[in-house]
Parts: sequence; C-alpha cells; structure tokens
Amino acid sequence: MTVKIAVKNLYKIFGDASEEALEKVKAGMGKAELLESTGQGLGLHNVNVRMKEGEITVIMGLSGSGKSTLVRCLNRLIEPTGGEILLDGENVLAFDEAQLREMRRKRMSMVFQKFALFPHRTVLQNTALAMTIESASLKEREAEAEHWLGRVGLDGYGASMPDQLSGGMQQRVGLARALASNAEVMLMDEAFSALDPLIRTDMQNLLIELQRELKKTIVFITHDLDEALKLADHLVILKDGAVVQQGEPQRILLKPKDPYVENFIGDINRARVLRTRSVMQSLQTANRPFAGDVDHDDNLESVIARAEGEVDRVYRVVRDGQPVGALDMRDLLRALVPAEPTGLDDDDEETAA
Amino acid sequence: MAAYDFIFDGLGLRKWCDADVKADRPMGLDELLSKPTAGGEKSVSAWEFPFPSLNALNDACPALPRSRDMTKGLEQAFLGAKDALSYVLDPLTQPLSWMLEGSLWVILAAPWWVIVPILLLIVQFVARSIKLTGFVALSLGLLAFIDHYDYAMQTLAIIFVCAFLCVLFGVPIGIAMSRSDRLRRALLPVLDMLQTLPPFVYLIPLIFLFSVTEPKLYGIAIILYAIVPVVRLTDLGIRLVDTDVLEAADAFGMDSRQKLFGVQIPLAAPTIMAGVNQTIMMSLAMVVIASLVSAPGLGVLVLQGIRNLELGTGLVAGFGIVILAVILDRVTKASLERFETGRRAQ
Ligand SMILES: Nc1ncnc2c1ncn2[C@@H]1O[C@H](COP(=O)(O)OP(=O)(O)OP(=O)(O)O)[C@@H](O)[C@H]1O
Ligand SMILES: [Mg+2]
Repeated sequence: MTVKIAVKNLYKIFGDASEEALEKVKAGMGKAELLESTGQGLGLHNVNVRMKEGEITVIMGLSGSGKSTLVRCLNRLIEPTGGEILLDGENVLAFDEAQLREMRRKRMSMVFQKFALFPHRTVLQNTALAMTIESASLKEREAEAEHWLGRVGLDGYGASMPDQLSGGMQQRVGLARALASNAEVMLMDEAFSALDPLIRTDMQNLLIELQRELKKTIVFITHDLDEALKLADHLVILKDGAVVQQGEPQRILLKPKDPYVENFIGDINRARVLRTRSVMQSLQTANRPFAGDVDHDDNLESVIARAEGEVDRVYRVVRDGQPVGALDMRDLLRALVPAEPTGLDDDDEETAA
Repeated sequence: MAAYDFIFDGLGLRKWCDADVKADRPMGLDELLSKPTAGGEKSVSAWEFPFPSLNALNDACPALPRSRDMTKGLEQAFLGAKDALSYVLDPLTQPLSWMLEGSLWVILAAPWWVIVPILLLIVQFVARSIKLTGFVALSLGLLAFIDHYDYAMQTLAIIFVCAFLCVLFGVPIGIAMSRSDRLRRALLPVLDMLQTLPPFVYLIPLIFLFSVTEPKLYGIAIILYAIVPVVRLTDLGIRLVDTDVLEAADAFGMDSRQKLFGVQIPLAAPTIMAGVNQTIMMSLAMVVIASLVSAPGLGVLVLQGIRNLELGTGLVAGFGIVILAVILDRVTKASLERFETGRRAQ
C-alpha cells in the first residue's frame, strides 16, 4: 500500500526562541531540561511516521504526550519547527497560504473532540461547510450534505440547530461535516472521547462501517487502548513528544518495547483483543491432529470457550477457507501473560530507519 | 517676606527672580481675595507654612509662573491650535450637522399621524411583540397628550442619528481592536478616559472649536460619550468567540474574511447588540446634558426648570425622559432577545 502521509524528523518547540531550542534538542537535550534552561516547551521530538493510504493510524499516549500537537502539525494548525510532512509526496510545509487553505478544504478534513460545530448554523449548513467555502451551488451542496447526514444516521435533522442535538448526534454531524468535504485524509483528535461508553461504541462501529467502504486515510487520536485496538491498522505510541513504539497493534501487545508501553497495555483484557493470527505458529509445527478450525481474526477468548478449558488441543487457523497456521492452546495461554519489554523491535522499520 | 524666599536666596537666584517682573499680569485668585488685608510684610508661622505650590513659590520669586498663568497658557495654546483644528474638523464634521438638522426637520415637519405609526411599525418589526408595541403607543400618546410630543421627538431624532453613527464607527473600531493587541492597548486608555470624564467636560473644548449654534457641537459630544460601550463590547464579543469553533473554521480552510463575517461577527452579535443597547441609553443621558449647548428636546425643559425654578416643568420633562429611556431600553432588549432565541429555534 502506498504511503499517504509521511512524517519525517518532525520537531515542534513551543516558545519564541524555538530555532535555538531546536539546535539544543537535536544535540540531545530532554523536555524537562529544555523547559528549565530556556523556557521553551518540547512538543514533538523527532517523530517519524508513515501513514498508509486507506488505513487507520492511531496515535496514543498519555495526556501531554503531544498527540494533538502531532495531528495539528499535519494540517498546519500548528506550525512545526523542523522536519518534513509529505502528503502524496508533496511537502505540506512548503505550501503558501492559498495552497494550505486549498489542502484543508479538499484533501484533509478534521473531527474535533468538542465537536466544534458552528452554533449559529443549522446541522445541514454545518455539514455543508467545506462546500460552502468552495462556493458550489446551493442545491448541489444541500443534496451532498443530506447524503452524508443520512450516512451517519441523521436523516431529517438537517434543519435543527446543533445545540438541539445530544452530544453523540453532534459528533455525527462533525463526522458528516468531515466526510462531506470528500477529503481523502481525515484527522480525528479524540473524536469520541467526550461521548459516553455506549454511544462511543456506536460511533466506533459507524466509523469502521464507513471506513470499510470509503477507505479514507484516517489519523485517529485516543488515549483509550480498547478504542485504539479496535480501530488501529497501525498504532503509534507517543511519550513526551517522541515515538516510543509503533507498528501493528497485536505486535505491540505481544512485544512491548519498554516499560511505558507495557504499562499502557497492562490492564487490557488480552484474551479479547489478541487474535489467533498473532499467536499462531506455522502449520508444520503441529504435532497432533487438529481439534477443529478457527478463523484467523477470532479473538483468543472465543477459542478458549471453544476448547472448554482444555490445554492440550491444537486448532487449525484458516483465512478465507485456506489454512494459514496452527494454534496450540499452550501458546495461547502463554500469550495471555503480559510480555516483558523486549527493548528491541525486530520488525519495526520505522523506528529503526 | 514670602515663605520660600530662603530657597531662592540660598541658591543665589534672587537677581534672576526679580529681574523682569511683568506688571500687567493677571491677578491670582488669592491675591484678589487677600487684597483688602494685604499690608506690610508678614512673617510666616510654622502653622501657616504654605505648600510649595506655584503660587507660593511665585510669591518668593516673581519670575516663576503662577497657577493662573498655567491655565491661561493652556487656553492660549488651545486657541492657537483652534484655527488649524477647526480648519480640518469643520468640513469633516459638517455632514453630522446636516444629518441632525435633517432628521430634526423631518420628524417635526411630518405630521404626528405619520411619524407615530412609522415608529410603532419599527418597534413591531424589531421586537415582534404586540404587547411592547402597545406599551410604546400608550407612552407616546401620553407624552403627546401633555404636549411634550415635539420635545420628545426632537430628543428621539438626535438619539437616532447619534446612535446610528456610533454603531457605524464603533463596530469597525471594535473589530479592529479585537484583531490587533497593539491597537487595543492604544485605544483602551482613550476609551477609559471617554467613559470616566464627566459629560460636562466634553463640552468645554468643543465650545471653543465649533460655534454653539451648530448641531454638530452636541452631536460630537454625544457620539464621543456614547460610542464607548459599542466599541468595547464588539471587541469583547469577538474575543470571546469559542476558540474551538475558530479552529474548526481554520481546519476547513476558511480565510480570515470568511471567518470574520461567517463566524466571529455572527457569534459576537448578541454581545454587540448589548453594546448597542448601552450606546443608545448613553446617548439619551448625554442628549439631556447637551441641551446646555443648544441641543433641542426634553433637556431644554429640564434646563428651563432648573434656571427658572419651574419645578413642575422640570419634573414633567424628567418624567418624559424616563419614559423615553424605558421605551428605548425595552425595545432594544426585546430585539436582542428575539435575536438570541431566533438563533436557537430557527
Ligand atoms: N500552545 C502551546 N504553548 C506551549 N506549550 C504547549 C502548547 N500546546 C501544547 N503545549 C505543550 O505541548 C505538550 C503536548 O501537548 P498536546 O496538547 O499535544 O498533548 P496531548 O497528547 O494532546 O494531550 P491530551 O491528551 O491532554 O489532549 C504539552 O506538554 C503541552 O503543555
Ligand atoms: Mg489533545
């Protein structure tokens, strides 16, 4: 798959003497030290991420780790101090004002944590925002906006004002507004964090359903691991503005790189989020007859239920009807115990590069 | 023997002090008062030892100016600059005179049965409340019944013109202030001053600059006094617009003009309208005071009441002013409210 957005050696330093501070950071000064000696805040520290077309890249980290800063650098709501951002190979940081606005209108939309709808415009007008700016004809705009409102399940709410809707519905409008711009990239900064758990699950499912069809490149920010694991094709973990580990979520679960990451994943129900494909071995290792078939995307919990607690069974893992591996219940049990941090990442080309 | 002689003697300035004392300088207030008793040298007791004011120092050293000379000097300076100032300001402000004269003429030339229905229509249009329109009709009827119709209409005409100009200039100034911290820092002291100066003080320089017979004299005084709230609240309203919403506007590629007219001004509108309400109320307050400098209207009657001790005239006129104030306040508030709720339940 092609890389849609490439972030290379990205630095962001908050403060008025950011150039000098950048030199110091590149020379190895840490966040706390920088703040103490120069009063400049380190927002992002040498971030390298490649976001692939049609995938959901989830950025995770504790509060203050620079998630919002990173996502706002992508559309330059925050101006990076150093580095490169390539969108389809074009350097976003070289865009002038007009090009930048053009990009924000047509190529990169955004969904906000606090919805940020225009309170003085109707739901329909809010949805049509990106098109309004492009000055398409009124009829066209309304038809398009109606279409997207329908897609997010808000048929018939076009004439309401945003504050007449519940939070979950408002965020649906936020989502429709982003989708209606037809941008290929969608930035979502903690888009579902302000919603209560049930609504939140609804919204996640809605996003997954839309994504299956629309294949947008989504950059999704969250500090909720369950949400991250549910949505992520690629997971990036940030700490103090630097990437500590990134890669396939299952991989990170099985091989956390350092205690920070381990802490993150410590509390998760591993049986529910780990998939058989992540713990299976190659077909040749099976030394016993298979007790049955499991899908490669089944979670371990369902396999345990199937095995009725027995540990000496081996299942065949199939994908689209083809056998792809063997799952030994003993491997499965071992995978349920959180792994020690490895300190190295064998297959993580991004951080190695 | 003056109290501070010792200083000038000590500094060896005695000669310079007594060198060229002008004989024809104006007399200080204290000199005038103390003339009859002034006779011979007095020694000053510690109890009466004067503050080293200009006058006291001048006693000891006539070469120094007295306070009176200072106010005189200020006056001279102002008179010196007056011609140049008038030369620039007169043509600039002439349209104001025309507008005031025009509206005063129109509102009195047209018969009452044209003007009153028009006013009621305006009220109904902005406030959309039959009850309020009825109240206004009753109040105007009452004023007309006690033969205060002409005065009240004159006052209203002046307020309409001045408040309109306040909004016309105040809103753009407020917008500019909200967008530039430098401009805001420069303008805030000016606004503070305009707001804290007692209204009478505005009139003093204006009387020198313009002739008292010209309407623009009181027009300017009213505008200067009443423009402050609309400027302040426009600035405040725009600054208070939710930064999340502005960020969304940025994220969807709005340029700064689209943001201003599409987001900031609509969201600041209720605050700006509150400023307009205050501006209208302050115009009313000032138009009464401005009757001192020939502004027509109810204020003239109040003034007459004070000057001639005609208690009844003054009180009734005051009552008329209260009625006007209530009408203006109710109507602007009702339109503001309609504006806000209209936004919710469109
Ligand atoms: N405008 C700013 N000026 C100075 N420092 C800032 C600014 N914005 C963010 N920071 C700092 O940059 C760091 C990263 O902030 P950021 O908002 O990106 O965190 P986050 O990961 O999104 O956190 P949260 O989960 O709370 O949203 C923080 O230490 C913050 O203090
Ligand atoms: Mg954030």
